[in-house]
Amino acid sequence: MTFNKNHNLIDPLGSMSCAEFQQQLPDLFAAGDNCIAENSPLHQHLETCVNCSALVNDLQYIAEQAALLLQPVEEEPSDSVWEKIQESIDHERTREGALNGEHS
Amino acid sequence: MDVQGHQMTENKTIPGLFKRNPPIAGEAEAIELAKAGDAEAFSRLYALHKRRVYTLCLRMLGNVSEAEDMTQEAFLHLYRKIGSFRGESAFSTWLHRLTVNLVLMHLRKKGLQLVSLEETINPSEEDAPKRDFGSRDPQLAGSVDRVTLERAVASLPPGYRMVFVLHDIEGYEHNEIAVMLECSTGNSKSQLHKARLRLRELLRQPEPVLDASLKEAAI
Repeated sequence: MTFNKNHNLIDPLGSMSCAEFQQQLPDLFAAGDNCIAENSPLHQHLETCVNCSALVNDLQYIAEQAALLLQPVEEEPSDSVWEKIQESIDHERTREGALNGEHS
Repeated sequence: MDVQGHQMTENKTIPGLFKRNPPIAGEAEAIELAKAGDAEAFSRLYALHKRRVYTLCLRMLGNVSEAEDMTQEAFLHLYRKIGSFRGESAFSTWLHRLTVNLVLMHLRKKGLQLVSLEETINPSEEDAPKRDFGSRDPQLAGSVDRVTLERAVASLPPGYRMVFVLHDIEGYEHNEIAVMLECSTGNSKSQLHKARLRLRELLRQPEPVLDASLKEAAI
């Protein structure tokens, strides 16, 4: 196992360390799927590093599952929410009515 | 922050959201009647949109009581402002954005720092991905169910949860989130990445450990 001067593990087959690769992940994910494939050093690191490959797969999986499992599900608020909204609206209408009465 | 201000512009549609928000039968008529003060029409709009608004509040805030209060606030705000809806975007998209802005305003009033700049510049050791070179943990693929994921998201720190919900669940782009949270797009990307890393950490734990972690986070 080899480390560079910053104590980061160096990929024996590539020039990029795990830390260097992972530092770029926020931008890589934001840029889309093909970004890693189009960048040779990144692609090479991903192909040869089991840990970074597992990390990328897991993070992609979490994002996919969030859209797949959570997006379509909707929860129901309790009935008291509507009761409170109605109360507030009635209160506002009464107040507006009183103000209009004062001005007329 | 002005909820009706630059963040509520109707001509700025969000492709992902618009696709998910097709017109609902009877909605257009209910909107016009509600604008004229028809109480029955307003209650129809509530019935049509209460789940979507409440679920958004619940995910952004992470607790039922606050989510119900904010749902109430969102519909009261809608009642007062529905006259300004001009139909240039889907009503649900407009209401969705109004709700997001109200929740963010609520969190700011509570003094919550939604995105920490310092944290982005100097990521803490805790936020860095754990590099365990000695052993390989099983990958997550195929192992996560909805309830577990929902609980894990609710247990995230507010700043992480906010960006994760807005980006990965609600479909907002980083530049839109940056405007909403008043931060840089780099900040938004960084917070999202940290949120996913934290979720990975939580979801890779064995069931009993995960339960304990989620309970601890809830406290």
